[in-house]
Amino acid sequence: MAKVSIDRLKKQFGASVAVSDFSLEIADGELVAFLGPSGCGKTTTLRMIAGFIPPTAGSIRIGKDDVTNVPVHKRNTGMVFQGYALFPHMTVGENVAFGLEMHKVPAVERGKRIDNVLDMVRMTQLRDRYPRQLSGGQQQRVAIARALAIEPRVFLLDEPLSNLDAKLRTEVREEIRALQRRLGLTTIFVTHDQEEALAIADRMAIMHDGKVQQVGFPETLYEKPANLFVANFLGKMNIFAGRVESPGRFVTENKLALAIEGSGAAASQVGVRPERIALSTEPVGPNAMPGVVDSSVYLGSLIDVRVRLDSGEVIGCQLPNSAGAQPAAPGTRVHACFRPGDCVLFSE
Amino acid sequence: MTPTERDLRSGKRLGASLAFPASIIVLMVIVVPIVMLFRYSFNHFDASVMVEGFTFGNYVKFFQDPYYRKVFFSTVGVAAASTALALVLGFPVAYFLAKSQSRYKSLFIILLVFPLLVGNVVRAAGWMVILGNAGFINFVLQWLGIIEQPIRLLYTPLAVVVGTTAIVLPYLILTLQSVLEGIDFSVEEAAQNLGASFPTTFRRIVLPIAAPGVAAGTMLVFILSMNAYATPVLLGGSGITMMAPALYDQITKVSNWPFGSALALLLVTATLIMALLSSWLIHRRYVKTMAS
Repeated sequence: MAKVSIDRLKKQFGASVAVSDFSLEIADGELVAFLGPSGCGKTTTLRMIAGFIPPTAGSIRIGKDDVTNVPVHKRNTGMVFQGYALFPHMTVGENVAFGLEMHKVPAVERGKRIDNVLDMVRMTQLRDRYPRQLSGGQQQRVAIARALAIEPRVFLLDEPLSNLDAKLRTEVREEIRALQRRLGLTTIFVTHDQEEALAIADRMAIMHDGKVQQVGFPETLYEKPANLFVANFLGKMNIFAGRVESPGRFVTENKLALAIEGSGAAASQVGVRPERIALSTEPVGPNAMPGVVDSSVYLGSLIDVRVRLDSGEVIGCQLPNSAGAQPAAPGTRVHACFRPGDCVLFSE
Repeated sequence: MTPTERDLRSGKRLGASLAFPASIIVLMVIVVPIVMLFRYSFNHFDASVMVEGFTFGNYVKFFQDPYYRKVFFSTVGVAAASTALALVLGFPVAYFLAKSQSRYKSLFIILLVFPLLVGNVVRAAGWMVILGNAGFINFVLQWLGIIEQPIRLLYTPLAVVVGTTAIVLPYLILTLQSVLEGIDFSVEEAAQNLGASFPTTFRRIVLPIAAPGVAAGTMLVFILSMNAYATPVLLGGSGITMMAPALYDQITKVSNWPFGSALALLLVTATLIMALLSSWLIHRRYVKTMAS
């Protein structure tokens, strides 16, 4: 496996810019998720790395080699396609053998490697089946085995789980992660599902409008989102507009004073995650805003409560449905309390 | 019987009764003439009239007369050559069309269909203008000084092959295009990703997947070519005789209905056998492996 260096990559289709100024270093054996809504440029970037789309500008290096102008079939990347793209006229074994034949692997070793990868994805028994005789999850496994058989330098996955049902999705996700760790595969995983990305990635790159918004560890991106897009794309966030009046003190447009941490004199917005807000009858801590419960939705493991603050804002809170939790009936007077450390500052 | 069952039954009855008129027409215009030709082919021909009887003489005549054997093999030869030529010319166009995302794609398809609006005779007349002794090609070659005397292009087997290819090409391209459009493009990308060059991807992936559809299109074109009438008459002239014109001559010029009928049935049978044979071969080679 090898590291991947992407430098100021750009793709323009006619007048529209699909990807611009994309720079990223992916370490050997690291799994990076490209996350973003559809049309954000994540798949275009992946396809440029695989070689299907020539970039307008910038460069891609795999290991020490500049592959920017290397054709697809000489790049040695292993790609798993969204629709699996198995060869319908070949058996499972033949599908896996194809790449090995193309790489001129001698027949004896070829057999060993086919056994090996099929065993890895638990598909040995179905070796002589044709793709249309397999379930979606099985086809997915074959696609993974086929891509890994050629011992690629980078493992590329384009929305690999989007065609599976919810339960299977988690299962296959765990399997991919385990396999990736065990083999030390440098992996790029494209998805639009934030939970999937959070669960699987070492680092994530969040994209929007063809630009990388933020790159970092899942925790960092969730706890310290760089901008409002990242904050709202990864989970939900209550946003208060206003300005920093003095260090540690933020005043909203409705004259609500909030205690904050950290410096950010230019901050024009403060965000708080719904699950970081606690509701209590008495004020607790420096940020305790009085209000009335507007609605309460029971979601099983948590309860989604909307509180109308006396200052006028409506905020969302997610309360754990823990033992002894009191259901907050609409109309109840409460205090919404959160720590200054849970406030995220935005200056945009 | 529940109301639903009754609805279903009456639905089926309605369907059957709607299909009835069409079935009658098919029976009258296709089955009845073929049965009659079949019967005629065993009759005698006495000087200038058909005499009822039962003889294999007409079939024996076909197989014994070197002239008709030649007619038969020219027909198969022209049909095979036209089909092969159309396949070679048509496949790249169909592939390009199937892969095209261009907004001019539908315009291109309309242009392809356009020749079908012009009759075969009119198009043959066009080829006569191009291929004749004083035609376009000879004129250009003479003007360039490559030849002094016009070369004979019209009224040759080559002219018939060219004319037939031009007629069947749109049918083939349209059939192949719809077949190729059905292939998931990502399969080709997967092959390239696994290290296959474009030619290898084409040979190992695209062609086998497209094979059944390609075979169907090729068969359609071969059948059309085997049964061509206007093009061989107008472009082949006395230079080559094919089955359809030959049997037409027997019936209209000589009034030899029994022998004409035998020729017609032999043409139908030969076409059918070759079509089924090629279909079976393709099936054995490719389709078997894709069945579930």
